[in-house]
Amino acid sequence: MTRKIGAPLLLVILAVLLFFLSLQFGVIHLHTSALSLIGKGGSVDAATVWDVRFPRALGAVVIGAAMAIAGALAQGIFRNPLAEPTLIGLTSGATLGTIIGIATGFAGYGSGRNCLTATLGVAAAALITQVLAPNKNFGFLLTGIALASIFTSISGLIISISHQAGIQSLSFWNFGSLSLINFSTVRVITPFIAVGIAIAFFIARGMNLWSLGETNAYFLGINIRKFRLLAILAIALLIGPSVSAVGSIAFLGLLVPHVVRLILGPDHRNLILLSGILGSIVLLIADFLARAAFQPHEVPLGLLTSLLGAPVLIFLLRSRRSQWVSE
Amino acid sequence: MGERIMIEIQNVSIIRDEKRVLSNFSGQIQLRQATLISGPNGAGKSSLVSAIAGVLAPASGGIRINNQDPYAVSAPHLARLRSVAPQRRNFVLAFTVDEVLNFVPKSLRASNAEPFIHALGLDELKQKKVTELSIGQQQRVSLGLALTQDAEFYLLDEPFDAQDAHYQAQIVELISELKKSKGVLVVSHNTDALHPYFDQEIVLS
Repeated sequence: MTRKIGAPLLLVILAVLLFFLSLQFGVIHLHTSALSLIGKGGSVDAATVWDVRFPRALGAVVIGAAMAIAGALAQGIFRNPLAEPTLIGLTSGATLGTIIGIATGFAGYGSGRNCLTATLGVAAAALITQVLAPNKNFGFLLTGIALASIFTSISGLIISISHQAGIQSLSFWNFGSLSLINFSTVRVITPFIAVGIAIAFFIARGMNLWSLGETNAYFLGINIRKFRLLAILAIALLIGPSVSAVGSIAFLGLLVPHVVRLILGPDHRNLILLSGILGSIVLLIADFLARAAFQPHEVPLGLLTSLLGAPVLIFLLRSRRSQWVSE
Repeated sequence: MGERIMIEIQNVSIIRDEKRVLSNFSGQIQLRQATLISGPNGAGKSSLVSAIAGVLAPASGGIRINNQDPYAVSAPHLARLRSVAPQRRNFVLAFTVDEVLNFVPKSLRASNAEPFIHALGLDELKQKKVTELSIGQQQRVSLGLALTQDAEFYLLDEPFDAQDAHYQAQIVELISELKKSKGVLVVSHNTDALHPYFDQEIVLS
């Protein structure tokens, strides 16, 4: 019981500390404490903190939570411990949706329309994977991986031939970076993500039943089709806008829920809350490292999450301590 | 004749994996009775349970629970008509037994399931992870879960299968208790000792 209150509390404190750290440190050296700049403007320091670092840290909190919760939902709804949105093509679906939106001139980067096309991209990817995947051992995962490379290739093709201004380079979409985020992007994506998180909490209890399999969930009164659609909608609302703003950030959705399950067990009600907080923390750290570790260069933070997350994936594949047993 | 609460099965044929597993079967399962479905492996016992449970639509014929078509009512409504303990449940996540027994939504929860949980020996397993239990223990958790759901009919598929004599006796006892107010349908391939405890036996061949 103490764990169930203590862990979230500890993580929230950590998140606040990291948030402050993100405001204080970066390429530009501040002459005063970021805290002393609250409510002040005018100076270079103030502009650095409020116009650049603050929206960026806010973006890390929102998007980190979104991607980690989406990972927890994807693993739960597809009943697969490796169903990470990047791995199974959902993120590529978001990228493709974003790029189609931008390339056709329907949506500008960071706009609400862009969130919409990205969300549709995720939902389409999830449904296509679901329909095409053969019901065998790794059928689902491999289908997702195959679809991911199809979506990525199409995105690359479109980027190569598009003359649309504002279409970012392929590496931005593949390796994710918070460098383009500003207040307006955060304002646009947050309502989408908030709805996604609300749905996630709404279906958390049902996700527990769902872990017994669709048929058993149905025995216990769950409308299978509606429930799955709701989960996919939540995942799409979480992943789509995030990717449209910062590109694909790999492994966050894999890493975080597994760590939370190890600490607190598999109950989705805790899992979703804690994954959200821990996701924010991991992305704050990753973005901080991306900005600070290789100065004066800034590296795409998706590279860092991959470097951190891929070994975890290998560990999980070899470990029995992942809280999942195979069927 | 007023509304009798029962399951009616009329001329039901079931095709599973492109094989006909049941042909033109008809029967009735009454409330406040324990009905045993027996027969050799492959006779279609589990398929019949799945068909009644609403997850394997008959190729022909009809099923009614309290005059309602299980394939036409909503999932939550159907959950009030029947509760199912399948032969096996796949526990993939390391929930505790206590957590699993709380899976049933409050609106569907039976108020009097505690004695059943106790009889199934689940009290002392409550803090154990369900993934670390033996097959027999998992089966009792599965049974316990079905009994915490408040329904008119309980469909129990091979509940004795992985149990020792003690728990087999406990389950028989529990069925007698349950049928005082509910309808109970039990599938078993090994029925020799069970006949005295059941009001009706349906033998599938």
